[in-house]
Amino acid sequence: MPVKWLLHWQPNQGSTFSSQILNEVTQSIESLNGVKEGTWKATLNYYKPMLQDQANQAEFPREFVGISLLEEPDKYYFVIRSQRIVVEADSSIQMIMESLQSYKCKLSFYFEGLEYQLGDFRLRVGKVVPTHAETIRGVVMEVEYLPISSMGMAKKLMEEFLEIWQEAMSKRSLPGKFVNKELNFEKFGLGDNYTPQHTAVGYAFFMANLMAAIQAGRG
Amino acid sequence: MSMECVVQGIIETQHVEALEILLQGLCGVQRERLRVHELCFKSGPNLGVVSSEVRLLCDLDQPEPTWTVKHVGGPMRGAGADQISVMVRTMIESKVSKNALRMFYALGYKLDHELLKVGFAFHFQRTAHISVSVSSVNKMPKVHAVDEAVPVTPGMQIVDVTAPATPENYSEVAAAVSSFCEFLAPLVHLSKPFISTGVVPTAAAAAASLMSDGGGTTL
Repeated sequence: MPVKWLLHWQPNQGSTFSSQILNEVTQSIESLNGVKEGTWKATLNYYKPMLQDQANQAEFPREFVGISLLEEPDKYYFVIRSQRIVVEADSSIQMIMESLQSYKCKLSFYFEGLEYQLGDFRLRVGKVVPTHAETIRGVVMEVEYLPISSMGMAKKLMEEFLEIWQEAMSKRSLPGKFVNKELNFEKFGLGDNYTPQHTAVGYAFFMANLMAAIQAGRG
Repeated sequence: MSMECVVQGIIETQHVEALEILLQGLCGVQRERLRVHELCFKSGPNLGVVSSEVRLLCDLDQPEPTWTVKHVGGPMRGAGADQISVMVRTMIESKVSKNALRMFYALGYKLDHELLKVGFAFHFQRTAHISVSVSSVNKMPKVHAVDEAVPVTPGMQIVDVTAPATPENYSEVAAAVSSFCEFLAPLVHLSKPFISTGVVPTAAAAAASLMSDGGGTTL
């Protein structure tokens, strides 16, 4: 499948996230003649262990996430970042997890928004919303380069695209910018050929960054 | 919700060839080789309000081993269940990528026991989608040492007959499995798992009959 980068919104020092950023992003894409193709959605679920004795919490992974992706409707992905584990499963694995009752989903987020075609690139921009609330907690951007599935081969082109994109965004005087955080997929046993498992790992890291930023903003 | 109908029986290894001939005639499909490493996991002592079990099945017969996670529920109980001669239970399966093993260890599941099943299977349609497998069950002297596996009961093999079902159709599926099992009665007695009825006393005669004329005899 095509190489994909997940762009993180990096706010300027002292600024807070505003949903206005989302409007500015879609306007920027449209000003570059991006063609709207439709909507998209992904979900990320945080699982917590059901423990008889909370004192032993440290024995279990602090962060265990399950992710569903629009492009793989019959699949579900698990990521345990601390152990560099990513697993691809059939969607029925969610029913298995529910039956086991050892881990329960305590918090979920939607990523949803619009999809655009821009030359050989497919862009998705979306808001990050907890499923139980309306507050937008962040914005995510997916950039896919359709002709190439090798991450190594696509790197230079993606970097060039990011430069153009950052320049287009800078004209809007927003309190931050989009950045790409390079991930070591090899540690997760993933190769140079891009797969949905790479996307799942990307979203797990994306949310970890976002949660850290939200915590830092509060503190 | 997905379910399965299950019966099980034992047969002496010397009669397996005759059973294969019988099954070949009954099922009308090619037999498939079976070489499955079954790992049974139980939740660790602190994990979950109730303890849970999950099985990982690794199909070693493929060029690249393929993994499945399987969760089996308790059997249906009550007067209705007692009247059905097959076991009906919930069963959920999901294909998974190879990291599933590491994942369950990381989540706090412990290996309870593991087996290697070696034999053959027939998968066919007769009202229901029925699978019959005949295999020797082997245990490993060291953890995951598949190549050093030895039979648990030399001279005896297990016959498993299963068929997937739903809450709407389990009666028909159970009836289909039951009636199919009647054809195997001369060689192997099949009943609800854990209710052992031993070998069929007349199996030797039936086997001899099958072997002497290549399965042409009607039993």
